[in-house]
Order: sequence, then structure tokens, then C-alpha cells
Amino acid sequence: MSKENQKGKTLLRALLSKNELGALLPLVLLLIVVAFVNPNFFMRRNILDIMRTASFSFMVAMPLTFLLASQGLDLSVGAVTSLGGIICGMALKAGLPLPLAILCALLSGALVGTINGFFAIKSNLPVFIATLGTQYMVNGFIAITTNNVAISNFDTSFKQLSQYRLFGEVPMPILYAIILAIVGQIILSKTRFGREVLAIGGNKETAYLAGIKVNQRRMITFIATSVFSALAGVLTASRFACAQPAAGSGTELSIMAGVIIGGTSMFGGQATVIGSALGAILLATITNALILMNVSTLWQSFIYGFILIVALYVDKYRRKVLSGE
Amino acid sequence: MSSEYILQMKNVTKRFPGVVALSDVSISLKKGEVLAICGENGAGKSTLMKILSGSYTSREYEGEIWIDGKKTDFSSVAVAEANGIEMVYQELNVMLDASLAENIYVGNLPMKGKFVDYKKLYSDTRAMLDKVGLELDPRQRVRGLNSGQMQMISIARALSKHPRIIVLDEPTSSLTDKETNILMDTIDTLRREGVSLLFISHKLDEIFRIADRVVVMRDGSVIATEAVSDVTEDQLVEAMIGRTIDNLYPKAAAPIGGEVLRVEHLTVPHPSNKGQNIVEDISFSLRKGEILGIGGLVGAGRSEVLSAIFGYITRGVTKRILIDGQEARIASPMDAIRSGMGYITEERKQTGYIWVHSVRENLTLACLKKLSRFGFIQKKQETDMAAEMFRMLDIRAPSLETMLVNLSGGNQQKVVVGKWLLSQPRILLIDEPTKGIDVGTKAEIYKIMNDLTHQGVSIIMVSSDMPELISMSDRCLVLSNRHITGEFTGTEITQENVMKAAIAS
Repeated sequence: MSKENQKGKTLLRALLSKNELGALLPLVLLLIVVAFVNPNFFMRRNILDIMRTASFSFMVAMPLTFLLASQGLDLSVGAVTSLGGIICGMALKAGLPLPLAILCALLSGALVGTINGFFAIKSNLPVFIATLGTQYMVNGFIAITTNNVAISNFDTSFKQLSQYRLFGEVPMPILYAIILAIVGQIILSKTRFGREVLAIGGNKETAYLAGIKVNQRRMITFIATSVFSALAGVLTASRFACAQPAAGSGTELSIMAGVIIGGTSMFGGQATVIGSALGAILLATITNALILMNVSTLWQSFIYGFILIVALYVDKYRRKVLSGE
Repeated sequence: MSSEYILQMKNVTKRFPGVVALSDVSISLKKGEVLAICGENGAGKSTLMKILSGSYTSREYEGEIWIDGKKTDFSSVAVAEANGIEMVYQELNVMLDASLAENIYVGNLPMKGKFVDYKKLYSDTRAMLDKVGLELDPRQRVRGLNSGQMQMISIARALSKHPRIIVLDEPTSSLTDKETNILMDTIDTLRREGVSLLFISHKLDEIFRIADRVVVMRDGSVIATEAVSDVTEDQLVEAMIGRTIDNLYPKAAAPIGGEVLRVEHLTVPHPSNKGQNIVEDISFSLRKGEILGIGGLVGAGRSEVLSAIFGYITRGVTKRILIDGQEARIASPMDAIRSGMGYITEERKQTGYIWVHSVRENLTLACLKKLSRFGFIQKKQETDMAAEMFRMLDIRAPSLETMLVNLSGGNQQKVVVGKWLLSQPRILLIDEPTKGIDVGTKAEIYKIMNDLTHQGVSIIMVSSDMPELISMSDRCLVLSNRHITGEFTGTEITQENVMKAAIAS
């Protein structure tokens, strides 16, 4: 091997070992391109808009990062997002005070998470198909209970949850997401729980033999993912002042793409919460940029699918380079 | 001109990087003969089989293979089959959800035009099942059969191709006595029909019962080829083990104290053979500062014993474990670690380390609880602890943050050992402590084991490496046929004693 080649490899390794770069590099490139095409992109209002959209995805992406890190998967997060909004809306309509209504929504999420965890851990079902099953069941449950009619006309206090702007500028969801990002990254990289989740994803048997409560840890990641999905649903309903039966449908893959492209491995064992935040911002930026560049929104689905595949390739390649093959 | 021999392997040498698996091996098989091949773990039997099956092409080894007195180029599996050689492997290799008939005639189904001739298929299968003594419906699925019956199905599949040479690898390891008898009769019938058989086995009673001649292999070489009627069991055992032990094993005996661990009535189900136990009702004890070796052949249940003690396998296991005379309930590795145990498994990659994690993270994995305060890992304490172990074990890696995947096998093993040292066990279970690692690292591992016993740690060590077992053990148990068939202390631990116990039934 020539010397330059060798040098190139080391550089590549250094880049790839910073997991977050998977999202950061495309993000920067995108910003440059968009800035040339439409300078309006950089208006403060637009940036805040992107960040707000990303915040909603990130509320799900944060716990999903832990779930993927432990080699889990959850395709029901979109459905549970819808469920959270609907349950909260129904509880409010039934006259429950706001905190109790939110609690009901979170509990409904916890229930679905427990079911998912049970399938994956106790019954050892293939998690991809099993959570797809729960996704359909939850969507079905929503359709039955709401007759596919949205719930609206909420009090101002509920709407303020998402619509209030800090200093008259920054939407609350952005604040929530920043807090989540900090807490999540600390849990992942500084605590025993985070280390154990990564160990389980890296090698479940080794982790179990080292005395780690593998099943309990995995259960927590499943439940947390669903609880935060339900929370995202509550806040989405607050933002639009309307709980829609399909509020979260179809978001699961784009959120997962964001997590993976952010540097969390589908194969488990490696994860970064900050990367997931960057991934969420990247996807929100793409959507926004498509609109500003006058590309039909019909292209969105296609582009999200494409990004998911690219993310998988990046993940695979990253592992290959790091393992020195 | 036809030859007396149907098959001759002439001066076959097969090298792997760093090892010679077969060294100048010559074997010849007569028509209608049963030739037994026996030898210890790692004597080269499997490599020999792979060459005969065509799995290694003729370019990958030196030497020649002659069929019917003609030199034949074994360039692929197809060539071996075309010459009428059929292999029956020890690991069961069946399609569980296909019928018996489809399993036996897979790839070879009788056809009527473009369609399978099921009538002929089922009647042919019936005939094959009769041959191996199975009274089963050709249409039934394989799932649900016991492993002995599955082994017979594999043999029937080989027979269905009307081979001239059949190679059987440890065919009776999953058979009951009754099934073994049927197999022996089948072999006898085949021999009278002029089929030649290579019978790989370490069960001497079977060799004496069925074989005409026997080849003894050791360390990749043929040690002896004798007519069965000319040798005794003792002579075979001697030929299998006769090896000098070099001084690689610096055993430094530690003072041995009182009993720390007692295992009573341990029964562990067989991992693959439903309804059978791999060990049954065994009891033994371990004393302070002692290295208790466990010997036996592959498949005797040695690893399963360690896994069951540690609570790693629990399904179907019955046991009573006493630590310092107190009964300990060990239902999971967590319980075992809490009771002061550590377990270095045989399969490093599957159960020993996390390949995408760093040396530091791997080293501290089993003591995270100790390192945490309010759920937070104490970073400095962790790094210090890992760094000390890194130095002490002389782990060769660029830094503590290097991923395990980038380390050599020996250094990976050191990390696994270090992980358990950091958990400070009083009882350490070690399965194959030096498997697949270089000589230098081996000696370092032995030194660590010696140091541990001097600190009062007790060790149970499973080993297939005979010299290692003999020189490192203070006491040695041998497992065979579900039971402890030998217990030796000090100078009684000899290759001969261990080998005899290992093949006892």
C-alpha cells in the first residue's frame, strides 16, 4: 500500500470514528447549496421553524437511540405518537385536568412499550415484524375509538404547551428538545445504564455473563421509546390545537433514518444522542429546503427512503473501516 | 489392473497458517473393509475428512489420492461424490420441516418427466428406512425425531446414493445403546455387500467390535496402523497419547486450603439431543487455592458443567451449590458474580468480549456496579483501574481506547481475563484458557493463574490441551458418558490415566 493511501485511510478512520459526522457533513453541504438557491432560508423565522419540526422528531429519536443501541427496533413509534395525542385529547374532553390527561397519554405509551418489550424479550419474536404488528393494532385502536375524526377545540392552557414562545421567539418544543438532548447524552455516555445498554447491543451474551440485567434494561428502552412517542403526540396535538388520528403515521422510518445517519449503529453497541439530534435537524432541513427550492412535496417520501438507505450504507461502511477490514 | 485398495491417501500434508494439521499421512482402505480412525481432540481427524470430501481442493494440500489404483484429482466435492464417497457428519444436518423421504433423497429425487415420482420416492424410502432399522412413515416430518433417529436419517441419505465408500464421523455419539447395535449391524451388512467404511471414533469398544483395522492418529500424523486382532486397548491408548511434555507449563503449586465450593447432584440436559442429559448427577468440590482440571473428550459436557454452575444455562438443570458450606442459589450469572465467581468462556468472540467496544470498556464490564456512584460511572476511577490491569497483563494495544476487534487473539483473551480479575472473584471458572493463542501469551496466562492461586483464588479449568491439563491441575476430574469417570491427584494425573477415563463408558 502506498503512503498516501495509508494516510488517506487514517484520515477516513478519524472522520468515521466521530460518529456524528454522518449527519453533520451532509447538513453543512445542504446549507451551502440552499443558501445559494434561496437566501430566505436563513431568515430567523425559517430556522426556528426547522428546529421546531426537528424537535418533535427528536423527542422520539432520543429514546430510540437507546433502543437501537441495544439492538432493538420499534416501528410502532408513529402510531404511538398518534395514540398519545388522541388519548390526551379524549381525556381533556372527558373533563380531566391537563396534568392527568398527559399522564393518561404517557401511560398508554408505557402500555404499548411493555407489549413491544414482551414480544421482543420474553417471546423472542422478530422485533421488526412484531412492532409492525403493534403499529397496525394501535392504528386500528385509534380508528375504532375516534371513528377517524380529529379532536379539537382545546383550552388555551393545552395549546400553550407547544405554542408558547420563549422571549416571544423560541417555540417551547425546541427548549424541550434541548433539555432532552443534554439529559439523554449524559445518560448515554456517563451513566452505568447507558454503558450497559451499549454493552447489550454490542454483545448480549457477554453482557449477560458479566452480570448485567439484560432483560430489564431492554424493557426500559422499549417502554421509554413508547412513552416519549406518546409525549411527542401530546405536544403535536397542542401545537396544531387538534389531535389527529394520523398525526404520527409514517414518521417511524424518517426518525429512524435520522438516528442512524446521526451515527447510531443498527448493529448495536455504538450510539450518540447528539448525532440523533443532528440527524433530526438534517431531515427537517431537507424537507424545508425542498419547499424553498420549489421541489414538489410529493418527492418527500422518495427522498426519505433514499436517505434511509444511504444511512444504512454509511453505518455498514463505518463498521467495516473501524474494524480494520 | 485393479488394485487391492479402493482408496489410498498418499503422503498427505495439510498446512494452516502457523500449524501443520496433517503431516505426511498415508491411509489405505480395502474393498469391503471397516477401517477405524482414532485419536485425541485435534489429532487431525476432521481435516482428513474434509480432504476426502473434496472440501479442500487438491491445490490446498500436498499429497495424492488414489481411487481403484488410479491417481484421482480431488478438485471439488462433486469429484468425491462421483467416486462414490459419502460423508456422514457428526453434526446433524437435516431439514427439520421436510419429510423423511425428502431428507433422504434431497437433490436426488426420482422423477417422472418433469414431476417428482412420489410413489417411487416413498417406496424407495421405505426400503432405506428398513436398512437402518427405522420403523417410521416416509411422509412424516423430521422435526420431532430424536437425535439418534436423525443420525440414522443422515446415514440413510448416504446409503441412498449407493456409495462405495462411506465415512462416518463419531456416528454413535448421539445414539442410544439399542440404536448403536442397529448401526453396528447395518455396518456389518454393508461390509458384506462390498462397501468400504471409514469409521472415525474414539470409543474403543466399538472399534474392537466392528473394525477390521485401526489407524491411530496423533498431532496430525499416523502413529500406527494395525489389524484390530493384533492390538490391545492399552496399546491403542498408549499410541494415542505418547507425547513428551515440554516445559512450557510453569506450575507453581499454591498452599491448598479448605473447601470453598461444593457442587452436588448436578444434572445438565444435552444441548441438542432432546430428552438426554449431557451430565447426570455428578458431585465434586473445590478447595481454596486449588486448580481443579476437568478433562474429557469434546462433547463430554465439560463446558456445560461450568455454564450450569455459573447460572448461564438453567433450563432443565438441577443442582445444589454450596459456597463455604452455605447453600447458594445461583439462577443467573448475576447471582454467581455476587457469590464471588467469574467465568472465562471458551468462545471469546460470542461470549467473552464486545468487539466494537474499547479495551477500557471491556475490562470494566463486570464491575460497573462497583465503579458507579448514584448511577454515574466514576470516569477517573474507571480509567485508573483499566490502566493498571492494562499494564499488569501487558496487553499489547495502542491504547486503552482501542477497539477489541483490532487486537490479536492472545490480547483479546488477556482483556477477557482482566475483566474477571477486576471483578475480584474467589472462584474462577475457565474454559480452555489458552485456546487459539500464541505460545508466549500462553505462558503469561499460566503465570496469572499461578499468581491467583497464591492469592487464595480457586480455579476450575476445562481443557482439551492434555499437557496443559496435566501440568496445571492440582487435581483432575474426567468426564465421559454423562459421569465422572476418573479423579486423579498430583502424580496420578498422567496422559494415560486421563485418556483411559475419557474413553470409558
